[in-house]
Amino acid sequence: MIRTKKNLFMILICMLLLGIVVIYSYNASRSETLEIGVFVGSNWNVANANSYTIMDKAIEHFESQNPDIKVHYYSGIPKEDYSEWLTGKMMIGKMPDVFMVLEDDFNKLASMGELKDLSTLMSRDTGFSKSAYYQTVLDTGTYYGKQYALPYEAVPNLMFVNKTLLQKEGITVPDNDWTWDDLYSICTKVTKDTNHDGILDQYGLYNYHWTEAVYANGASLFDKDGRQSFFTDERVEEAIKFVMKIEGVNKGNKVTQEDFDNGNVAFMPLPFSEYRTYKTYPYRIKKYTNFQWDCITLPSGSEGNNTSEINTLLIGISANTKKEAAAWAFLKTLTFDQDIQMDVFRYSQGASVLKSVTQSKEAEEILQQDMEESEKVIDMILLNRVLEEGIIVPKFQNYTEAMAVAENDINQMIEGEKSIESSLKILQRSMKRYLAQ
Amino acid sequence: MQLQHADKLKYIKVSMIIINLIAVLFVPGFIYITTRSIYDHFMARDFLQNVEAIPNDPFQLMFLAAGLFIALMISYFVREHHTDNSIKIIYATIVADFVISIAIIWILNFNYNGVLFLVFANLITYAKGNKGKYLLMFLAIASFLIADFDLIGLNYPLYSIHDYIAYYDANTQKYILALYNLMISLNMVAFIIYCIYVIQEQRGTIDEVSMLYEKLTQANEELQDANVQLKEYAVITEKIGETRERNRLAREIHDTLGHTLTGISAGVDACLATIDKTPNQTKHQLELIAEVTRSGILDVRRSVNKLRPDALERLSLESAILELIREMNSVSGIKIHFASKVETLKFDEDEENAIYRVIQESVTNAIRHGKASNVWISIERESPKLLLTIQDDGIGCKVMKKGFGTRHITERIEMLNGTVQFDGSDGFAVHVQIPIRWGEEYD
Repeated sequence: MIRTKKNLFMILICMLLLGIVVIYSYNASRSETLEIGVFVGSNWNVANANSYTIMDKAIEHFESQNPDIKVHYYSGIPKEDYSEWLTGKMMIGKMPDVFMVLEDDFNKLASMGELKDLSTLMSRDTGFSKSAYYQTVLDTGTYYGKQYALPYEAVPNLMFVNKTLLQKEGITVPDNDWTWDDLYSICTKVTKDTNHDGILDQYGLYNYHWTEAVYANGASLFDKDGRQSFFTDERVEEAIKFVMKIEGVNKGNKVTQEDFDNGNVAFMPLPFSEYRTYKTYPYRIKKYTNFQWDCITLPSGSEGNNTSEINTLLIGISANTKKEAAAWAFLKTLTFDQDIQMDVFRYSQGASVLKSVTQSKEAEEILQQDMEESEKVIDMILLNRVLEEGIIVPKFQNYTEAMAVAENDINQMIEGEKSIESSLKILQRSMKRYLAQ
Repeated sequence: MQLQHADKLKYIKVSMIIINLIAVLFVPGFIYITTRSIYDHFMARDFLQNVEAIPNDPFQLMFLAAGLFIALMISYFVREHHTDNSIKIIYATIVADFVISIAIIWILNFNYNGVLFLVFANLITYAKGNKGKYLLMFLAIASFLIADFDLIGLNYPLYSIHDYIAYYDANTQKYILALYNLMISLNMVAFIIYCIYVIQEQRGTIDEVSMLYEKLTQANEELQDANVQLKEYAVITEKIGETRERNRLAREIHDTLGHTLTGISAGVDACLATIDKTPNQTKHQLELIAEVTRSGILDVRRSVNKLRPDALERLSLESAILELIREMNSVSGIKIHFASKVETLKFDEDEENAIYRVIQESVTNAIRHGKASNVWISIERESPKLLLTIQDDGIGCKVMKKGFGTRHITERIEMLNGTVQFDGSDGFAVHVQIPIRWGEEYD
């Protein structure tokens, strides 16, 4: 009698447990809201009044095609808090289904298995084609050879040219195949003391970073997954020597942002996003107003091309999403849909990651719209070229720390405090040790 | 005593379960609390910087761990309380324990694998001495060795409770680590104590078995003694029978022959005294003596008859043999085939006795030693000899051994100047040749 009671009790407990599981999974599958992780403002640290415009359009577009799915996002997360917000959600197991991935976070998230491997989704979807993307841009979303995120927006680096200054000095704007030698000769020509007070007040180049020289010389510092470094590459050494040489033109004077803003500097590397922001209304009235300017490619080194770094904003799917199909559909809407990608030109400051969109006449017209009549729109062939030839800086897990070490050493080299050749060897050795950890 | 021991084992097992329950809930519980704190303090990005992996959903993880532990408990109760003592249920629940433990270790990302000790403990207790036990034992040990955080963590990103402990300040870390390690050690200690008790209990069983074995040996020895005594007793009984027979014989001789001879002696004495004076009376006296003598001979014959073997005493040889066969057939279930080519089986008493005894002895041997199911007896005349053959289909015997009654047979036949041959190659055969004194009957 007691035994039967006990058995009955056990059966009841089992049924209760089973019930909980069933209800739990039923509820999980029933909720049809797709959670999206986005931040407010621009990824490119420029002002953006149309933060959610593209997202809202994409959601509207998506919901009209998938009426049974609602898309929801938390508004008001600034970019600087986004990483914390996302990782916080991740820790408590409330990861959004589809979310923006900052470049610095990508490797960490991928290595922790928080991002869904998109390979099968991509190959299964016949309406999808990887070749529509710029290859280098697409590669930012790979980790150990697998695609974990798709690019949404790309921003290549360009070279800002002060056309007024060059005109004044009787120098034509260089073409897009220009070299370090061209840059050097222009810099020596324009660097002078215009008011004859004994102090240099006009310069050739501002804010040119040694990494930009390295990339333009066909070299890279790390492999994609941060397991190797290449500081002893001759091309790296050559690039650093070039930066030293061009800094030498200023004869020890430090060029400042003020010099540049006042129109006293000929060249400055500039992200495409800033170009777009300050070239168009309303922000064009804020900066660079007293001279005419345009953008060209970065000059090529002796061993490389007019290559520059491309930054991307990635979008990924949570590895634990229960709405894989909907998440994929929405990810595709954001990154693969021609209209939405055209909106990147319309409402954001980057460039579309799709070749067909960036090369289109419509995109060119959009860029032209807000420009002053007198301004020539950025050459779409140029944009297409920098996107195609651009290089991706591998943002592996300890990239920031590794770069901080390199930055410090190389700046000392540039300032002539250390011999370049031997210092690079030492740096390479210590970097190798650091990466092996 | 036995019950007390079982109770102790149960207490240790229950405490092991409690320790494991605490440990299994501690890992996700602690991770959940820490995660909340990290989340509330906006430390997630910093925390993740040095972390390889985190659980998908710490809140869910707690319930999953608790759910799996309940499953483990159900398996435990089923095993402890199932009514029929079937080995299948024990094995099924142990396999279930094993699978659930692996699942728990899996969801806890190898941060706690002590739950396998529960499986070990049950294996040691329940699975006794067959292949399944060793297979499970091997699996459990192998998985315990493999389910090591540091080993698995080499190739797969795993979340580590130590990462979460490291979130706290150094002082708190010390206490939490101490607590965590204490649980692991307690579980191990409980397991070791459990093992010691199980070993003790098994040693108790071995003692019991050896005690029983000793008793059995003793009983066996006593039985053997009794057997020897019985044999001695049988010998004594035989001796007593022999003595009694001798006494009977003596009495018979005394009663008949003695009596008659005394009478004859007295009569002859009287005759000697009277033979000269009264020859006629003496003659009459002698006639009387002759009568007494004849009567004495009759008495002697009767006495000798009385001493003849059982059936032969009453019946003719042939009837006696048939009687013997009938008795043997009915008593032992053996088939005895008798064929005689001699018309009338009537010989001198000693010859009849010998024939009867040989047949009796041979058939007895065939039953007792040969385990035969058929015996063929044939009697033939090959003048002047009588051929007697007793053949059986038993196991025979490759090497002839003395005893088995063959000695008696030989003695009897040799007394009659006959010959005996034994052949144990195909069943067992006794070939007897007796030179019969045909027609030399004296009656």
